[in-house]
Amino acid sequence: MSADGWYLYGVVEAPPGPLDVEPDVELVTEGPLAGVTSRVSLDEFGDSALSERLGDAVWLEENIRRHEQVLERVLASTTVLPCRFCTVYRTEADVRRFLSERQDQLTAALAEVSGRVELGVKAFVDPERFAAGGAQENEQIRELTAQTAQAEGGRAYLESRRLERLVGDERARFGQEAASQLHSRLLDAAERGVLLDLQRPELSGRDEEMVLNGAYLVSDRPGFERELAALAAELSSRGLELELTGPWPPYNFVSEELRG
Amino acid sequence: MSSRELEGYRSGQPAQLTDVLERVLDKGIVVAGDIQINLLDIELLTVKIRLLIASADKAKEMGIDWWQSDPFLSGSNGRGELDKRLRAIEEKVGLPTSDEES
Repeated sequence: MSADGWYLYGVVEAPPGPLDVEPDVELVTEGPLAGVTSRVSLDEFGDSALSERLGDAVWLEENIRRHEQVLERVLASTTVLPCRFCTVYRTEADVRRFLSERQDQLTAALAEVSGRVELGVKAFVDPERFAAGGAQENEQIRELTAQTAQAEGGRAYLESRRLERLVGDERARFGQEAASQLHSRLLDAAERGVLLDLQRPELSGRDEEMVLNGAYLVSDRPGFERELAALAAELSSRGLELELTGPWPPYNFVSEELRG
Repeated sequence: MSSRELEGYRSGQPAQLTDVLERVLDKGIVVAGDIQINLLDIELLTVKIRLLIASADKAKEMGIDWWQSDPFLSGSNGRGELDKRLRAIEEKVGLPTSDEES
């Protein structure tokens, strides 16, 4: 039987009150802070074992999801500073030492996100809906659409190709414009916000082109959602689709000094 | 169908793995050197995760393939960058460095 290690999911203010977490999740309290931990076997999470496990996509997905789920259940009751995946300490004393040595930074980082959640907003442009909606606001496209409908044979083909290109350019322009409008209005409804990398369709799981992938630190969630609904009402007829994710632990808003 | 569709946007679905990954692998607290279990910096761990997933057939099914667009991993100077980080990590944990000139 090998020794256990301590997997640290995140840090909360102590005492956090009752948490609805799985039975194997334990709090390690050190002064005003507590680590959300569970004991893991070093057979699984130890130095050499981990290298092997990291080659196992099924194990990875399971554990990455578990990391997130533990934090989400904590988040339902209290503010939590999330740790990165596979933060494993050898002993409980090491977890305590981390909490006490970094107490000031951790406390400050917690104060920054206290009572706030991270919400994700993704925006997509649906090509067909854009062609029928937003694109028709462009006079040149309207004219060409009418001409193409009347043209025949080779000319019809050429004109439809020209139209396609024109609509494509217009869609790219609309996407950029919509993204910056969305981001600035959502920032106004949030405390902070950051732009994440856009996901290609094979990652996003959607065929439409992603034009915005933002994360926002929000204290007034109903207000933020109202603003999102207002933006959807303004932009959806032109082919824009919005997706809200979260609430997430504030992964994107932990203090820089605490990041690797 | 989520009730929010009435509001004109989607929400409330289970999180996409991609959204989880871009958070738990890249973001969150990590203090180099404090992790007792690994001699390797957690950053290197993340790189390893990506590289190893890259070699798994399962990766495409899981929709994980961003390393293809990550210059750190796929670019011509990726190797140099990796070596640089390795050296920094080795110094941090007090191992003899793999490259004497640092």
